[in-house]
Amino acid sequence: MIPIKQKEISTKESKGKDIRKILSQQKYLIAMSLPFVIWVIIFAYVPLWGWTMAFQDYKPGIPFSEQEWVGFKHFLKLFNDPMFFLALRNTLAMSLLGLVFGFTLPIILALLLNEIKNLTFKKTVQTISYLPHFVSWVVVASIVTQMLSINGPVNNILMSLNLIDKPKQFLIQPNLFWWIVTAADVWKELGWNSIIFLAAISSINPELYEAATVDGAGRFAKMRYITLPGIMPTVIVILIMNIGNLINIGFEKQLLLGNPLVKEYADVLDIYILNYGIGSGRYSLGTAAGMFKSLVSLILLTIANTISKKTTDIKVI
Amino acid sequence: MKKVLSIILVVLLFMGVVTGCKKTKDSDSTKESRSKVDEETPEGSEDGAKELSKEPITFTMYSAESNPNYDNFESPVAKKIQELTGVTLEIEYEMDDPAQRIGIMAASGEYPDLVYAKGDLLPLKEAGAILQLDDLIEEYGPNLKKLYGEYLPRLRWSTEDPHIYYVGTYPVYEVRLEPANLFWLQHAVVKELGYPEIKTLDDFEKALKDYYAKYPQIEGQDTIPLSLLADDWRFLISVTNPAWAATGGSDDGEWYVDPETYEAVRHLTREEEREYFRWLNHMNNEGLLDPESFSQKTDQYEAKIASGRVLALADADWSIGSPQTALREADLEERMYGRYPVVLDEDTECRVNQSPGYTGGWGISITTSCEDPERAIAFLDWMATEEGQVLTHWGIEGEHWEYNADGKRVFLPEIDEMRRTDPEFGKKTGIGNYTYPFPQWGNGIKDSTGNYVQPDSEIEDIIENYTEVEKEVLAGYGAKVWMDLFPSPEDFPIKPWGATWMYNIEDPDLVDIDNRVTDIGMTLIPKAILASPDEFDSIWDEYLKSVEDAGLPKLTEAMNDMIQEKMELWGTKE
Repeated sequence: MIPIKQKEISTKESKGKDIRKILSQQKYLIAMSLPFVIWVIIFAYVPLWGWTMAFQDYKPGIPFSEQEWVGFKHFLKLFNDPMFFLALRNTLAMSLLGLVFGFTLPIILALLLNEIKNLTFKKTVQTISYLPHFVSWVVVASIVTQMLSINGPVNNILMSLNLIDKPKQFLIQPNLFWWIVTAADVWKELGWNSIIFLAAISSINPELYEAATVDGAGRFAKMRYITLPGIMPTVIVILIMNIGNLINIGFEKQLLLGNPLVKEYADVLDIYILNYGIGSGRYSLGTAAGMFKSLVSLILLTIANTISKKTTDIKVI
Repeated sequence: MKKVLSIILVVLLFMGVVTGCKKTKDSDSTKESRSKVDEETPEGSEDGAKELSKEPITFTMYSAESNPNYDNFESPVAKKIQELTGVTLEIEYEMDDPAQRIGIMAASGEYPDLVYAKGDLLPLKEAGAILQLDDLIEEYGPNLKKLYGEYLPRLRWSTEDPHIYYVGTYPVYEVRLEPANLFWLQHAVVKELGYPEIKTLDDFEKALKDYYAKYPQIEGQDTIPLSLLADDWRFLISVTNPAWAATGGSDDGEWYVDPETYEAVRHLTREEEREYFRWLNHMNNEGLLDPESFSQKTDQYEAKIASGRVLALADADWSIGSPQTALREADLEERMYGRYPVVLDEDTECRVNQSPGYTGGWGISITTSCEDPERAIAFLDWMATEEGQVLTHWGIEGEHWEYNADGKRVFLPEIDEMRRTDPEFGKKTGIGNYTYPFPQWGNGIKDSTGNYVQPDSEIEDIIENYTEVEKEVLAGYGAKVWMDLFPSPEDFPIKPWGATWMYNIEDPDLVDIDNRVTDIGMTLIPKAILASPDEFDSIWDEYLKSVEDAGLPKLTEAMNDMIQEKMELWGTKE
C-alpha cells in the first residue's frame, strides 16, 4: 500500500515539471529501488522466456534453435484430458473451501482475541494458535493421519459418545477428503493469519471506542460498527490477494494426506503437472498447464480487483 | 553516469544468468571453450598413468534408489575404498520419485559425475548427458568385461543405438537360493495349526481364519490377519505384484509375458487376476483384510508388522526387511514370517522363481559433467575386481571377517551377530552399501580362494541365518530351506526376454499412457477390493474399460515390439 500512496503524492507534486528534474529529485529513491527492480526482472520476467517451451516439443539438452515448434498442440491436449479438469475441479474446490474458512475464521479469531482484556491470556492464546504454522506439512500430515486412524483419538471419542458403533476410516472416504484438508489447513494457519488482522485492529483509534461507549454501544455493537469497518481495507486487500492465489494451493497437503482411494479428489493441478508433465518427461505439457494456471490467476485477480473497486473503492492494482 | 552504470550492471547480471544457464556444449563463446581446454590439458598429460592413479578424487553420484543405511562415505568400508582407489563418493540417494528428479536434472544441464537412474535414464541420454562407455570399457575395464562376459551385449541400448551407456547393476551369474515369493505367513500361525499345507489361496485363507478365531488379540492389540501396503508406488509391490505371483506369472513388472509365445499383456487385465482380486474382495468382506491397507503409510505399516500382530503379508522381501529385523531383535521370532508358494488354485503352477538371466537393463552411467571419465570407469572396474567385491560384500579382513580353519571366509562372530540383528549394520560398517547398484559378482561365482564372493551363497549359510523357530517350521514341512517348498528355478527355462520391468519406454506419449494405466489401477482396484461382492465385477469391468480407453492397446503393442527387439539385440531369439 505504501509505495502506491507515495507515487500518488509525488505525481501531484511534480505536475508540469520536467521529467529529468523528477528523476534527479528522486534519485535516492530510485537507487534504492533499483536492486529490487533488477531482482524482479531476473527472477520474475526472465523465466517467462521458459513459456516458449509450451509451444514446442521441448527436449532437454537440445539448443533452443533446434527445438520443434508445435503451436497450441499441448494446450489442446490439456483441454482434451479429463484428468486435467478433475485436477482443476479439485484445486478450485479445495481453495474455495480454504478461502471461505481459512479467511473468515482468522478474522473472527482476531475479533474475539481483541475482546480479551487479560493480556497474559491473550498473548498465550495467540502464541499457541500460531505455533502450528511453523510445523512442516509432513509432520502435520502424520499427526492428522494418526488422529483419524482406526485406533486414533477421533474414532475413540466418537465411539465413547456412541455416535458411531464401528471405527470409521475417514481418510479413505472421497467425500471427506476436501474437508479434512481444509480442516488441517485451518488448524495450521488460523493463528498465523489472524496476526495481520490483530495488527489492523490495534491501529484503530481508541477514541472511537470511547465515543461509542458514551453513546451506549455494547461489545457486539462496537465490534460491528467500529472494529470491522476499521479493518475492512486490510480485509479487502488480503481477500483480493487470496483470490488471485486461488489456483496456487500447493500440493504438499494433498500429496501427503492422499491415498489411492481418494485420488480422484486429491489430485490438484500441481500434482497433475508433476505426474503427467515432469514425471512423464513431457515438459511442454507441464509448461502449458503452468501457463494456464498463471492466466487463471491473472483473470481472478482482475475480477476481484474490479469488483472491489466498484463496490468499496479499495483496490490493489 | 549512474544510469550508464546501472545499465551495465543490469546487462552484466543478465549475462551472468544467461551464461550460467547455458553451460558446456555451446562453443560459440570463446571464453568458455578456452576454460574448457585449460581444464582438459592436464588431464591429457596424465593419461598414461590413469589406471594406477590413486590421487584423491571425488565423484558425485545420484542414485534413484533410496538407502536409509547410507554411511556418508564415512564407514570403515568406505574409508578402505578411498585408501585403495583414492576415490571419494558423494552419493545422493533418492527419497521419492526418481523420474521427477531426473527430469529436472536433464533440464538444468547439471549432472552428478555418476548416475544410477534405474528406468529413467532416457531423459538424460536424450539431453546428451550420458557418455558412451564402449571404448572406455574396452580400454579401462578388463574386470568389467570379464564380469559381464557373454552378457555384455545385454547392456546395449537398442538395435538402433547399439552402444553401452551404463555399467549394469545387479549381480551377474546369480543363483537363486531363496524364493522370490510374495506371500508370507507368521511362523506362529503354521506352528499352532500343525503345519497345514499352504498351496492355494484357500489354504492361506483358512490358516488365517483359524488362527484369527483362536487369537483375536496379540499382545493386547487386535490381530490383523492380512495387511497390504498401498503407499504410492508400493501399491505395485504389495497390491498388484502378488496377483501375477498367484496366477502363475514371474516378475515382469506391470506385464505378463506368455512363456510360450512371448506375448505380453498388462498383467492386471488377465482374467485369472480378476479372480485373485475377487479373493481379496472376499477377504475384506470376511473381515480378514486390514481396513487400513489402502490408507496406511509405509512407516505405519512397518510399525504394525514389527508389533507382531499382522499374521500374513503379500509383499517383497526387501520391503519387509527392517520390520523383520526388528522382530528378531525383540526376540519375537515366531512372529517373523515364512515364505509360501501360494497360488490361485490347484491347477496353477507357481513360477515366481523363473530366472530372467542377467537382465542388464539398468546401471550406473557416467555423465558429461564428469571431468575424468577414465578414472570413473577405472573405479567402476575396480569395484568389479575380487579385491573390490570382497571388500564391499564382506568388509575388511581381520576387522569384519577372517578365514576359518577350512579356509572358508566367515564373518567374525560379533559382526555376524550384528548383521543379523542390527538394522543399522550397513550404516555402521558400510558392508553392503557399495554392492548394489555397483557391478556385482553373482553368488554363483567363486574367487581365487575358492570362496563365494557374496556372503550367504551356500545352502549352509542360508540355514545358519535362520532362526530356531524358522528351522523348526521348515522341519515341520519336511524341508531344509524355503526353496524346497517351491518349484526350483531349474524347472524353468531362462526367460529369453529378460524382465520387462527393466525395459526403458522412450516415447513420452507411451510413458504417459503407462502412468495413466497405472493410476487408473491405483484408484479402481482398491475400490473393487473394498466393494461388496456383488459390485466387484462391475467395478472390475469399469477398470478394464478405463485402461483400454486410456490407450493400453497401443502400449501393449509397443511392449511386444520391445520384447522382440530385445531378443534380437541379445541374440536370444530362437
